[in-house]
Amino acid sequence: MRPLDPRLLRYAVSARWLLAGGLAVGVATTVTIVTFAWLLTACITGAVAGDSLESLLPQVGALAVVGAVRAALLYAQDLLSAHGAARVKSELRVRVLAAVRRLGPAWLSTSSDGRVTTLLGRGMDALDDYFAKYLPQLLLTVVVTPVIVAIIFFQDLVSAIFILVTLPLIPVFMVLIGWATQSVQRRQWDVLGNLSTNFIDMLGGLATLKIFGRQHRQIERMRSITRDYRVETMRVLRVAFLSGFVLELAASLSVALVAVSVGLRLVDGSMDLSVGLFVLLLAPEAFLPLRQVGANFHAAAEGVAAAEDAFSILDEDRQAEFDEVAPVASRAPADGGGTLTLERVGVDYGSGPVLEPVSGSFTPGTVTVLTGPSGAGKSTLLAAMTGFARHEGSITLGGGLIDSRSTERPWLAWTGQRPSLVSGTVASNVSLGSGEPQPELIRRALDLAAAHDVSADAVVGPGGAGLSGGQAQRVAVARAIHRTLERGCQVLLLDEPSSALDHDTERRLLSGLRLLADDGVTVLIVSHRVAIISAADAVVPVVPIRQTVRS
Amino acid sequence: MRVQSGARAVLRTAQPRTASWFAGMAFGILAAFSTVALLATSAFLITRAAEQPPILFLSMAVVGVRAFALGRAVFRYLERLASHDAAFRQLEVVRVDLLRRLIPLAPDGLGRRRRGSLLSALVSDVDELQNLPLRVVQPLVTSLGIAAIAVWAVALLSPAAAGGLALCLIAAFVLGTLASSSVAASAERSIAPHRSALADALLDYLGGLDVLIAYGAEPEARARVIAADRALTRALTRRAGGAGLAAAVLSLFSGLAVVWALIAGIPAVGVAGGISGPALAVIALVPLAVFEILAAVPLAVGAWRQVKSSASRVSDVAPSIAPPEVPADTGDQVVRPDSAAPVIQLRDVAVRWPGRPDPALVVPRLRVQRGERILVEGPSGSGKTTFAHLLVRFLDHDGLYELSGQDVRRVGSDAVRMAVGLCEQTPYLFDESVRQNLLFARDTATDDELLDVLERVGLADWLESRGGLDARVGERGALVSGGQAQRIALARALLHDFPVLVFDEPTANVEADLADTLLRDLLRAGGREERTIVLISHADVPPGLVDRRLRVRDGILTESARRSAE
Repeated sequence: MRPLDPRLLRYAVSARWLLAGGLAVGVATTVTIVTFAWLLTACITGAVAGDSLESLLPQVGALAVVGAVRAALLYAQDLLSAHGAARVKSELRVRVLAAVRRLGPAWLSTSSDGRVTTLLGRGMDALDDYFAKYLPQLLLTVVVTPVIVAIIFFQDLVSAIFILVTLPLIPVFMVLIGWATQSVQRRQWDVLGNLSTNFIDMLGGLATLKIFGRQHRQIERMRSITRDYRVETMRVLRVAFLSGFVLELAASLSVALVAVSVGLRLVDGSMDLSVGLFVLLLAPEAFLPLRQVGANFHAAAEGVAAAEDAFSILDEDRQAEFDEVAPVASRAPADGGGTLTLERVGVDYGSGPVLEPVSGSFTPGTVTVLTGPSGAGKSTLLAAMTGFARHEGSITLGGGLIDSRSTERPWLAWTGQRPSLVSGTVASNVSLGSGEPQPELIRRALDLAAAHDVSADAVVGPGGAGLSGGQAQRVAVARAIHRTLERGCQVLLLDEPSSALDHDTERRLLSGLRLLADDGVTVLIVSHRVAIISAADAVVPVVPIRQTVRS
Repeated sequence: MRVQSGARAVLRTAQPRTASWFAGMAFGILAAFSTVALLATSAFLITRAAEQPPILFLSMAVVGVRAFALGRAVFRYLERLASHDAAFRQLEVVRVDLLRRLIPLAPDGLGRRRRGSLLSALVSDVDELQNLPLRVVQPLVTSLGIAAIAVWAVALLSPAAAGGLALCLIAAFVLGTLASSSVAASAERSIAPHRSALADALLDYLGGLDVLIAYGAEPEARARVIAADRALTRALTRRAGGAGLAAAVLSLFSGLAVVWALIAGIPAVGVAGGISGPALAVIALVPLAVFEILAAVPLAVGAWRQVKSSASRVSDVAPSIAPPEVPADTGDQVVRPDSAAPVIQLRDVAVRWPGRPDPALVVPRLRVQRGERILVEGPSGSGKTTFAHLLVRFLDHDGLYELSGQDVRRVGSDAVRMAVGLCEQTPYLFDESVRQNLLFARDTATDDELLDVLERVGLADWLESRGGLDARVGERGALVSGGQAQRIALARALLHDFPVLVFDEPTANVEADLADTLLRDLLRAGGREERTIVLISHADVPPGLVDRRLRVRDGILTESARRSAE
């Protein structure tokens, strides 16, 4: 990890004033540290020289004030970094969200499941340590350490040299030990991950293990796994803790060196007590920020790793912007209806074609099934028709060409394999995107989708929680039917609408779809269910892409 | 901070009491002592040297400074090694303890929630318990111990300064703890709901992005996410600076302790019966070092809150006493089958789920003969799975349940499950190879026997296409379809050779088109060798597969009106 990631500053504009504020507070902190040490020295040397408390009261009073100011500055530093962290997280989140919108659902489906959700939710919190602990200390190291070393330098050259020699040892040894432990540490994380998954797996299968009378043996197994883990981990820690050891040793030894050399020069009278004490008090302060940086390094690295995920999404978005053409709304066919025609429609995401070109023509009033083995590209074809995948060949409706680059398709109502329901009620899901939802229309859509048993007022949790798999599927179909009825869409496109349904419900769904077709809607169903194929007017096979083409 | 008794028991297991733990504590105190002593001896050395005594008088202080400087680093290193070793040893104890609690509970004492997320949360809670020794007890004991030692040492030089130091330490400890725990409490109250609102909004947005765009509802959904983000950010900034409050309190009192020491010490310098110059330097500087060590206290208090809530979650999910609805494992007799008696005989049986007052299933009367194949039908939620769990003693019952003429209560649950096997609705597959997923049913089985049993359940071709017995099934069987998982479960059951085999909804996760074939295959492979079969299903079962049909309606199991041709 780089000590300070410039991209964090570029993307997170709010981090700039945070840095500036932190710098100002850092400078003020340095002043209080030096003043505190100077005043304390003055009090002690004064008392040793025989001054009374009364004559030293101004210094003692000032000491109390400076102590209070230092406490206030500590608080301010924390306030700044907490504010900053919250702002930066919010800003990154909003930017990544916008990037995801531009990159679109096709991109989202290629990125691993749940990654973006986690990143934008909890993942961002890993940045807290970076902003609240690591960055302020890094700033203090940059500001405080040189100032203090400079002051010591002007007070006592020898002590300054001791510090200047030991100070660089800290980062050097940290890096060296970091290198030495890196590979072991990675293996360690793997072991740790395995241990947890193993444990979860064992607990998850406990009922199964009980059925086979194997549950009691797991205790011994768990013991031996955990024991191996401990032995392995301790081997790593013996090396990993060395970096902490070096930090402590460098800091405390340099204080000892300063103390002893100052002491010896005081004995022969070549130095003044006030200088010696002042230098002794300042020496540990020169090391403190750097020690903190070292202590918070790992927490910060986790934050940066999370930020890097966010940056990679933003970078992808910026690259994608270059070849993006302003979206053109596809023209609705002039006659307001007609035949949907696919002419050698294929899809290529950039690494070779992923869909064997499909041709076909679908007339209003018919029910057509697109069928083929899994992996043949049925869902890709669907993405081409919905506009989420750029396609080759042409799609026309009633003779009008459909723009491949636009997702604006007023003539189309569709639903994908996943129901993709959102929080709200069944009614709000069915009437998604509708300006003025009408209860009768919602009920009719639900009935046509064979969702007689689903109440329109039923509450739906995030991600469709609260509905069974089959209910969610039918509500999603009802959503597409509602759009068809409300906007008069000519084409209704359904991807595996009955995969979670039993035969009876499937039959009822089919008769609902037939009613819609009789009203002049072109119904297209991706499915390989026997009942649907036998009820369809036509079957269009989607064949897997030929090996020769792929290679 | 009150801790309920269940959580207290969990916390007791989490705290090591081993030699390496006490060694770690001792090293910790030595390290902290060295830190304070380094500053004190340095201050003493310098101020004493300024009085220009013979160098001999300083040699002790010089040695001390060097020794404490080395000691601080070395002891700290040893402390971390010893205490981590102790904590990892304790992890073994904690995990085994959890396993011991869960074994009698599983599966029905764990509640009927989604088990996957429950378990990963449970495991991370258990891992969190390691922080009790490492981040709570160790820093608290070390810093309080060193504070006491410092006060005592300062008292030897100046009781007045020691009194001030003690007061400042106590005030800082109390105020710092209060600040950090009130901040944490308000964060839990005000931040957590915003966090989950944001997570929900994100799930809706990202999970349904294509649909939202197509239906023109995307801007609205994105606005919801952004509103949730704004609300969270507002809540976060409102409580910002809370963590700094504890640090500021400590810093403030550290300054006050120094000032107090000066006020108490300066008038006594050089006075008869007073203190020397070097002693003044020591009492003025020691507070700085002590407060540096005390900075660990607010962090430890924060860690304590987390450990405590983890412990109570663990004790909630896995109570040490099983609910009465889950059978206690009494009796360890083996089943002594009476060959004349029916394999299964139930009379006036009622079964309850933990935490539900009403019985989920009532069976007035049922006899199943050896080698019989019965079907239990009924709509979902009517109590069919309850029936399966009754048969394998995952749930306890009122009334009489006899297995080959013997009351199951007199037989250990393990012995019952030797006789009655279950193929679960969602068979659990371990994230290992196909071989490992079969072997635990009979670990003496040879590869040939495994291949033979897979052939019998119709998986021979599948196995070949996947590359043999070493093929992995993925996490929770992710690489295996619902039908294949059922077949693997059956293969396991056949290897174990249960005399009675219960299938719980084998077609629930299988495409309707493939269901009939699967049922036929399962019953053909499973029904050999005089095995008794209980098939539980909500879907249609083709005629001719079973001897007798039973029906569950509204939680009551009765003989069905329509009988299959026998």
